[in-house]
Amino acid sequence: MGDDYSSVWSYRLKWLYTLLVVFTLMLPVFYVIYVSFNQNGFGAAEYVFTFEWYGEIFSDLLLLGALGNTFILAGITLAVAVPMGLIAAKFYKATEAKLLTVSLLLSPLFVPADILGSALLVFFKNLNIACATIGEWLGVSWFDTWFELGYFSALVGLIIYTLPYIFVVILITMGRYNEQQTEAARSCGATAWQAFVQVEFPQIRAGVFSACAFAVILTFNEYTRTSLLKGGYDTITSVLISQMLNEGMSEQSYAMSSLISFIAIALIGSIILYTLVQSERLEREARAKAEPVMSG
Amino acid sequence: MGKALFLAPIVFMTLFFALPLALTVVWSVFERTMFWMEPGFTLFAYENFFFSARLENFLSSMWHSSISVVVAFIFGFPVAVFVRRRIPQVAQHRVILLFILPFMVSEIIRIFALRPVLQRTGLVNNVLLELGVITEPITVILYTPLGVIIGEVLSFLPFIVFAGFLAMEAVPKYIFEICDDLGAPRHRVFIDVILPLAAPGIFAGAVFIFVNGLGVALLPNILGGPGAVNAGLIATQAIAALDFPLAMAVSAIMMTTLLGLLYIGHRLFDLTRILSPIN
Repeated sequence: MGDDYSSVWSYRLKWLYTLLVVFTLMLPVFYVIYVSFNQNGFGAAEYVFTFEWYGEIFSDLLLLGALGNTFILAGITLAVAVPMGLIAAKFYKATEAKLLTVSLLLSPLFVPADILGSALLVFFKNLNIACATIGEWLGVSWFDTWFELGYFSALVGLIIYTLPYIFVVILITMGRYNEQQTEAARSCGATAWQAFVQVEFPQIRAGVFSACAFAVILTFNEYTRTSLLKGGYDTITSVLISQMLNEGMSEQSYAMSSLISFIAIALIGSIILYTLVQSERLEREARAKAEPVMSG
Repeated sequence: MGKALFLAPIVFMTLFFALPLALTVVWSVFERTMFWMEPGFTLFAYENFFFSARLENFLSSMWHSSISVVVAFIFGFPVAVFVRRRIPQVAQHRVILLFILPFMVSEIIRIFALRPVLQRTGLVNNVLLELGVITEPITVILYTPLGVIIGEVLSFLPFIVFAGFLAMEAVPKYIFEICDDLGAPRHRVFIDVILPLAAPGIFAGAVFIFVNGLGVALLPNILGGPGAVNAGLIATQAIAALDFPLAMAVSAIMMTTLLGLLYIGHRLFDLTRILSPIN
């Protein structure tokens, strides 16, 4: 059997193939970015570089409002889903019913967006009717609008969507943490909270940060669930898709798609770089402590 | 208080995820009214699904989805094997992180972006014409079932890489060395060693792609031609037409399909094995 250690070229080819797959997956996005800088738009014979289309996005008031809504949703999802994922990961480590917990938390990954969105939409509409009926019955009206489609329902959809990713990312980082450190801290007199904040959290911080990045990016990009559940207001993806469907791919759609992709790629890129640099530094420090004379 | 807090995610997911999905079965047998539905028992929605073109659409989207699973596996799984086998342990996760990159661009942009790439005057045709590989633009790659399959593969390929990567955790490196020492040919190693050990992870990735191919309405909506419909699109179209029982019936059918597949997979390969890396 041919071995890669004997043939460096086979190793290089496999690397090339891996990068080629990533490149192919990204190619449509790169092409959209390329077209977005063309004065003449898609399909033109002549390519003239311009920022013109980007200028036009920022003068679009509808879009700026949608951007605001998107950031509100992303902010609240982050603030709710990440602590929830952290709690869920802690719960998973402690519980006996591991299989049930993990299936409940990970199964949203397997439920397609349109199916979950439709089910939640009907669920909220029913809750709404139930609230109104009970309210009428009791003669009170203060909880009538609790479950109306709006920020709350959209947030529920987004939290269900992001929680599995957050849970897995945090759980994987927690796997490298040694529980005995918490026990040691506790027997030295720390409270459970102190042990968590001062001993455990610094070691899983990288995981929590990447989970935050995930939550923001997934919310930022999400369309189907939000559009079914959001009620009346616009988000950035809903504006984008209505623009694309109504006017076809206009120059402005290219610019907007590129801009959204830029933001997401820049965000995740910097997070990945940060965690890599950080983990490299920690590794180096640990190695320097463990083996003062470096051995390969 | 502290104990109750730890149950919060479980309670939330039960209330807003498991409960609505379970209730779809109940709502699917409700009577349809003009703008909404009322409690009752009728199988009209199911009749509407199983005795119309919808069933045919559903079955053909299952077929397309299966093709996507196979294609994604062929292109994606070797990457997972390569990374686990040849890349040093510490660097493995970094290589896999590369595949998160496309996933970070919004689904709608990735799917829409395929239009300028695949269309008649698009990138692929331009390059191929320029190179002289073809003389006429290829038109079967967009607004056709093939277009939907291309979209599915490009959208979901990273998941087979992730699932394969997790699955390959079950195949220690020394196994390859043993196979080498015993002189096993490549395809025997793959069929007799890698596949059985990595089966649970591969299966999970495959189910993921299959179900999403059935359920993501954007794919046939944007890349498919006339008549390209999958379960997700049937559900959202039913919602738009205010036929809520039908939408719920489609959801219930999808959930049954999913649970059935997971059950079969679990009986065949014990899916809990996938979770060993995080335990």
